[in-house]
Amino acid sequence: MNAIRRVRSGPAVWARDLAMGMRFAAGGGREGWIRTALTALGVALGVAVLLLGASVPSLTSAWHGREKARENLGQRHEPRPADHTLRYASADTVYRGAQIRGRLVRPDGAHPPVPPGIRRLPGPGRMLVSPALKELLESPEGKLLRDRLPYRVAGVIGDEGLLGPQELTYLARPSALRENAGYRIDHFGKAWDSPPMRTPVVLLVIMTCVALMMPVMVFIGTSLRIGNERREQRLAALRLVGADVRTTRRIASGEALFGSLLGLAGGAVLFLGGRQFASPITLWDVNVFPSDVAPGPLAAAAIAVLVPAAAVLVTLIAQRGITVEPLGIVRNRPVLRRRVLWRLALPALGAVLMLPAAGVPWTDTGLNTLRLAVGSMLLLFGVTALLPWLVDAVVGRLRGGPVPWQLAVRRLQLSSGPATRAVGGITVAVAGAIAVHMLMTGMQAGYAQAYARSGKLPQVGYWSGEDDWPRAQRALGALRATPGVTAARGVIDASAGRLPRHDASSGYDPSRHVSLAVGSCAELRRLAQLPSCRDGDVFVTHARGKGLAPGATVDLAPPAGMGPPPPPSPWKIPGTARTARVLAPPAQDAGPFVDTAYDLLATPAALPPSRLQNPLLELRIDFDRGTPDALEHLRNTAARIDPTLSEYSHLDNPHDQQLSSVRSGIFIGSVITLLLIGAGLIISTVEQLHERRRLLSTLDAFGTRRTTLSWSVLWGTAIPVALGLGLALGCGLALGALLLTLIDSAVVVDWPVVAGITGIGAGVILFVTALSLPPLWRMMRPDGLRTE
Amino acid sequence: MTPEGSLLSAEALHKAYGATPALDGAEFSVHPGEVVAVMGPSGSGKSTLLHCLAGIIRPDSGTVRYGPHDLTRLSDAQRSALRRSDFGFVFQFGQLVPELTALENVALPLRLNGAKRKEAERQAREWLERLEVDAVHGQRPGELSGGQGQRIAVARALVTRPRVIFADEPTGALDSLNGERVLTLLTDAARDTSAAVVLVTHESRVAAYSDREIVVRDGKVKDMLAGLI
Repeated sequence: MNAIRRVRSGPAVWARDLAMGMRFAAGGGREGWIRTALTALGVALGVAVLLLGASVPSLTSAWHGREKARENLGQRHEPRPADHTLRYASADTVYRGAQIRGRLVRPDGAHPPVPPGIRRLPGPGRMLVSPALKELLESPEGKLLRDRLPYRVAGVIGDEGLLGPQELTYLARPSALRENAGYRIDHFGKAWDSPPMRTPVVLLVIMTCVALMMPVMVFIGTSLRIGNERREQRLAALRLVGADVRTTRRIASGEALFGSLLGLAGGAVLFLGGRQFASPITLWDVNVFPSDVAPGPLAAAAIAVLVPAAAVLVTLIAQRGITVEPLGIVRNRPVLRRRVLWRLALPALGAVLMLPAAGVPWTDTGLNTLRLAVGSMLLLFGVTALLPWLVDAVVGRLRGGPVPWQLAVRRLQLSSGPATRAVGGITVAVAGAIAVHMLMTGMQAGYAQAYARSGKLPQVGYWSGEDDWPRAQRALGALRATPGVTAARGVIDASAGRLPRHDASSGYDPSRHVSLAVGSCAELRRLAQLPSCRDGDVFVTHARGKGLAPGATVDLAPPAGMGPPPPPSPWKIPGTARTARVLAPPAQDAGPFVDTAYDLLATPAALPPSRLQNPLLELRIDFDRGTPDALEHLRNTAARIDPTLSEYSHLDNPHDQQLSSVRSGIFIGSVITLLLIGAGLIISTVEQLHERRRLLSTLDAFGTRRTTLSWSVLWGTAIPVALGLGLALGCGLALGALLLTLIDSAVVVDWPVVAGITGIGAGVILFVTALSLPPLWRMMRPDGLRTE
Repeated sequence: MTPEGSLLSAEALHKAYGATPALDGAEFSVHPGEVVAVMGPSGSGKSTLLHCLAGIIRPDSGTVRYGPHDLTRLSDAQRSALRRSDFGFVFQFGQLVPELTALENVALPLRLNGAKRKEAERQAREWLERLEVDAVHGQRPGELSGGQGQRIAVARALVTRPRVIFADEPTGALDSLNGERVLTLLTDAARDTSAAVVLVTHESRVAAYSDREIVVRDGKVKDMLAGLI
């Protein structure tokens, strides 16, 4: 008699068994190939999502890196003019709602610094433009913009000088750039710390990943069920010829590993192919190059290892409840009684993490962000944990009804697991989508409200450093002559301080701050009720109760709070100064830049603006919306006056387009997710039908109508989906409301979208049922009754 | 031509699966209250004959007469309706719906015929008592023994008071004791209701419960009493 050989174990045995499993998967016939293909599809989607998520840090880093490299921000001291310096000024503008970044340069010498993306600075009267701006300028839509940028296009800025392929930007060298425009620099790329990602963005990224990954994981789990019966027969046959239980488990894992490895490769291809479509996408004003969407090497390696390992782990966990015996499979998992307590613990913990923040003003700290993110995730995962209990609790109480209903309900009562698992994905995806959508809608509504008043008001403000009143007057005249402009007003204003200075500190002291405006009598009359006025007059308003009186002396160079205080520049208010009463701003001026309550009003002859410290020309222009392109004509005039004039308006709500694009993205993502879940449900339903084909044939034999069983399939899908959607709606709305409360935003629900997502959920039910019917009818044929 | 007084008869049935003939000119008849055993080796065409007789499948040619109807000319819906109202079925493994209780399984054909749940379950209960399995009426098939499950299947076949019961290897999965009990209950109940029974089996022990035996071989039918029909 031969001695019983001890079964070896170790990496070699693992490798052998896994390889055998992979061979079975590769040559497992049609069912095996379908299972492998679907597993690979699920894993590929998961890998693509993970690679995309892992790319976010490097993506933002690359984006911020290019921003840092092409600017000179945070420069403490301006260099002296030299051969290697240039004057650098911002000339940003807006064209029909699109932001255009403009930079003007004037080299001081022969070797000025050059920003990334260009080889040398453009010559006088020329500009370098981004490809997107070039396209716009060359198109008929860019006609008015061409008038605004009176430079010849001398070349195109390279990718390294752009934030993204869609960016509209130019670098121009005007023939003349006023001396005090912008500042002088000696190099580009001054280091600065990019701001951390804002909480809503972090939340969006995390919740999107969670919402996307859950259905993908469910899909993978479902795809592994395909052809289960044949696989179990194969494993039993292996047991019969001497394989032990562990060996069969390793072989089964090998089958899953094969699909997973294919999926890994497919995911990489999907990711690399998909990122080519990054160029036209602008999300939250961030538009990147495809090459920016690249995960870090560590993250990529972790995904490459963890994803296949996870597939093996899932298979091993799924096999805990079965024992492969030589004559078949023994299911030894006891009937689980689902308890609600621990299932409530996850969402409760999530709520606990989030609730303390409600009611107190939101502060954007790392801890708060982490707390919000973890709390949101726990709430979302809590929904998945609650769903099986909810389905059991509800379905367990259902009684009676017609035959199809009874068949469906009883099947769920006996085994709700597969349907609930599939629906769990829907629940998380829908709850996440609704919550994020609400977050976006709430933020959008907040911005819309903020912009509503000013947006309705056809008014634009401009400001720029200016110390010459005749120039300011010419600007006002040019603006008034612009088509569509109905009124234009402006003064040069500045800050002054009380004398003597309070102490030697350089700090800014608001209690000693005096605001003053210099302008012609006509302009000053728009601000205050003047007794009479001619050039040389000065008026005290007492608007802020500063107690200024004629004859008092004010400091025209007050400490600004940075650096050593400048020497005082005393100016005595003439004894002839009279009192004027500040007019309330016109009703339509409610909104931004309406602080016209100056303490002192002076005409240029009395106080030349050149004496002021940091004098600022403030212009306010009303225009007629009825005039075509009035705003763009106005901007063109402003650019002719001074391209570095800064616009001050709330006419174009940039957030609206940003948030709308995010909301659309979420909606599309929800639809794709629901379709993916639908595909998983179809697999699960068809697999169940396949396992019951003999029973279906029997039911057909004794005359069961097709409609009866079709309705049964419909109810079997509809009941868990309806419960899942109900739970998702409740949870999504609650989570969304909580998030909006936390960021101090009004709770707004976009009901059409909620209805849309719910409707798509209902569509998934019909879709699953419709696609399940052909296999159902096929399996109702008498072939299933044949035993020979 | 229909054999005189027969409830169900078939003539010149031909049925092939691909190139393989399953029935090759088979003839058959059964009278009310009669139990006919259809015997034959595996693959001889017994089950195909049963499926043709019950209107589950349509033969390639030939006729199956049931009363005024030629089953081969009826639509799928009409044949289904006939199976619901006039025919009963028992299969080798019972094929009970696993999610439903024993009582609900038996009541199912009545409910498919449009009966109210309470009335269907009342009648089902009577049949469960008659087949001595009333004690397990609330249990699901997975909780029943093979014999109990098959008795439930018999009750389900009889509950609509069918005129013909088709039983395909009804005791194939049972031990001899349980098998005999099931057959006794089935044939007694059928005779009480004057239902004909078409009993497909390959066991002569089972065939002993019949009034008449026919043998199917290579798709042809031989009546053991009358010789080749």
